[in-house]
Amino acid sequence: MMRVKTIGAALLTCVTVLSLGACGGSDHAGKDGKVTLNFWHISTTASGKAYQENLARKFEKKHPNVTVKVQAIQTEDYDGKLQTAMQDSNSAPDVFLSRGGQKLSDMVEAGQVMDLSDKLSKSVQSRLSDTLSVQKVHGKQYGVPVMLSPGGFFYSRDLFKQAGIEQPPANMAEFSQAVQKLKDAGIPPIALGAKDAWPAAHYWYWFALRECAPATFNSTVKTKKFEDKCWTKAGQDLDDLAKTTPFNEGFLTTSAAQGANSSAGLLANHKAAMELMGSWEPMNMMDLAPNGKMDDLGFFAFPEVSGGAGDQSAMMGGSDGYACSVNAPKECVDFLDFIVNKDNQEEYYKAFSSIPAAKDARSAVDNPTLQEVLAVYAKASSMSLWLDTQFGQNVGNALNTGVVNMLSGKGGPKDIVKATDQAAQKG
Amino acid sequence: MRDPNAITKSRRERVEITLLSTPAIIIFLGFVIFPVFMAVYYGLFKWKGFGSPSSNGQFIGIDNFVLILKDPVFQKAVGHNFFIAVMSLIIQIPLAILFALLLNQKFKGRGLIRTLIFVPYVISEVIVGTGWSLMLQSKGAVNAVLAKLGLAGADWIANPKIAMWTLLFVISWKYVGFYVILMLAGLQSIPEELYEAAAVDGADFWQMQRSITLPLLAPTVRIAAFLSIIGSMQLFDLVYIIWGQYVSDTAGTSTMATYMVREGRLASNYGYGNAIAVIIFLISLLVALLYQKFVLSKDLEGGLTESK
Repeated sequence: MMRVKTIGAALLTCVTVLSLGACGGSDHAGKDGKVTLNFWHISTTASGKAYQENLARKFEKKHPNVTVKVQAIQTEDYDGKLQTAMQDSNSAPDVFLSRGGQKLSDMVEAGQVMDLSDKLSKSVQSRLSDTLSVQKVHGKQYGVPVMLSPGGFFYSRDLFKQAGIEQPPANMAEFSQAVQKLKDAGIPPIALGAKDAWPAAHYWYWFALRECAPATFNSTVKTKKFEDKCWTKAGQDLDDLAKTTPFNEGFLTTSAAQGANSSAGLLANHKAAMELMGSWEPMNMMDLAPNGKMDDLGFFAFPEVSGGAGDQSAMMGGSDGYACSVNAPKECVDFLDFIVNKDNQEEYYKAFSSIPAAKDARSAVDNPTLQEVLAVYAKASSMSLWLDTQFGQNVGNALNTGVVNMLSGKGGPKDIVKATDQAAQKG
Repeated sequence: MRDPNAITKSRRERVEITLLSTPAIIIFLGFVIFPVFMAVYYGLFKWKGFGSPSSNGQFIGIDNFVLILKDPVFQKAVGHNFFIAVMSLIIQIPLAILFALLLNQKFKGRGLIRTLIFVPYVISEVIVGTGWSLMLQSKGAVNAVLAKLGLAGADWIANPKIAMWTLLFVISWKYVGFYVILMLAGLQSIPEELYEAAAVDGADFWQMQRSITLPLLAPTVRIAAFLSIIGSMQLFDLVYIIWGQYVSDTAGTSTMATYMVREGRLASNYGYGNAIAVIIFLISLLVALLYQKFVLSKDLEGGLTESK
């Protein structure tokens, strides 16, 4: 008898505690037309944080009925936190950072994101026409891009000159010669942060972009079956490159951006001649170079691969944007419009040193390296999204594993593709 | 004839027990038992972690569990965990006993050395990991010092032949201080008279240690070994920081927990990840229960069982 009562008391307390927890929801629109926008971003640098705060305050001034609650979240925590918060529309942020690709499409399929297709202004649609597609799922618009970060090789002009390389290589044959010349001059040719895996996997992405025809590319994004031979060829190209030992000594234990011994640090300190990265590289250099910046940092596109069926002038990169959650108030769309107006996009460049998504704001880019990136971008036929963003984390993780395994001598090009098949079983 | 006072007393006692244990029971049920069952439930789905598993995932029964147990990468990781558990015991426990015996003697600067031995344990895993990973890189401080001494360095982290021993070294360096403190505490509880009596009987130092210290220290050693085994089963942070998810696999230092983070969280396969968590839980539980049944039973008598 007592036992039943004890259990009863415990249950009652459980129920009480649970119901207390569940009561605390958030309310968006009050009776008097006042609206709160919860805004999540990942800018944690001093200038980045200040930019986002300032953005919120300016928007509030323009729309007195709106309060923007800004929350900065560490990049590493962001995906997990967002995913958890989106499970319940009460805890979901109204405006949140989105990188497009598979993740956005998963959220769309779970009915968590607002369809913006008919809501965005004409001006936004034309001024951001080259990057909007990143935030599209099944032909519908779900987010607004704020920046783009095309990838390619960042290199030290001084070290290239020292090794007698006249101009940056345009194809793989020239690239191999450049690597050889750098090695002859006693300079480690390429810095690679393989500890983080993705910088190594990026080589495979780029070779795949050059080897695989756009049609193959697009159909594989849907089927996630890497059956075409071009995918194995991409691995073979990387294996061939790795066999010329172009990477810095100990690249398997080198991280991408932490400290002077990271791959970015090696380049910044002239201990390696180049690195394959996204266009956030010049900003990373600021913290790592001896005097706060690297004067001789140049950029060239990923070399052409002769005989490849892929688009030889295509670029690959990322583009961060913002999206509204499905139950966000309508002011959310105004906020997105506001984020990408010309002034705010120019400010964005100043705060983050990254290329603004709005075309009319790109004239603000005054960093010489980024100007080179923009020049290459202008000539590129298209920009594909990073493969791991496109294919989703499951495939991205498998590619990371396969590429790192191959570079450490465990497995070959075929095993990389096999890893993606195994990954498909897991999720 | 029952004593009415006894009934009220026992009733009051029960109310007291209920009142005092309820918060702990709620927390235990809510944050330990409930999540375990939820993990089992999620583990039955192919699910990306968006929406609910029943509507956005795909029910696949025990497929995830079968896949995990069949995955050679996971099998290797389990092997690493058990190897680390055994080697940690072999290295750390004797070392800790020796240090404790030494530090139990009276000599100048004993307090300072006791503190120094304990310092690595106090430093957070992240700092220890970052520090050692920087020093052990191919172009790091360790190899630079070796080169100055005219010795050839090695790739301490990425070379699969060396990596596991590097990990064991760092683990031992970090945790031996903790076991030394445990052993020292154990030594304090051994009555001085026993040693005096032994000395009168003409026993030498090592005889005393073998016949008095070790047997009386045994309960402490059993608890220390238990903590060490559990720690080895759950090992994650040092491997994650020094090797990272991907290189730990090729270097041969991956653990069940790094496998879970890589295949669950990084791959965004939350159903699969939950299934891994359940398997890790079951393996750890089994190890803990077996250890308690066969090794710890004497020490825990009356604590976890009905008193006799």
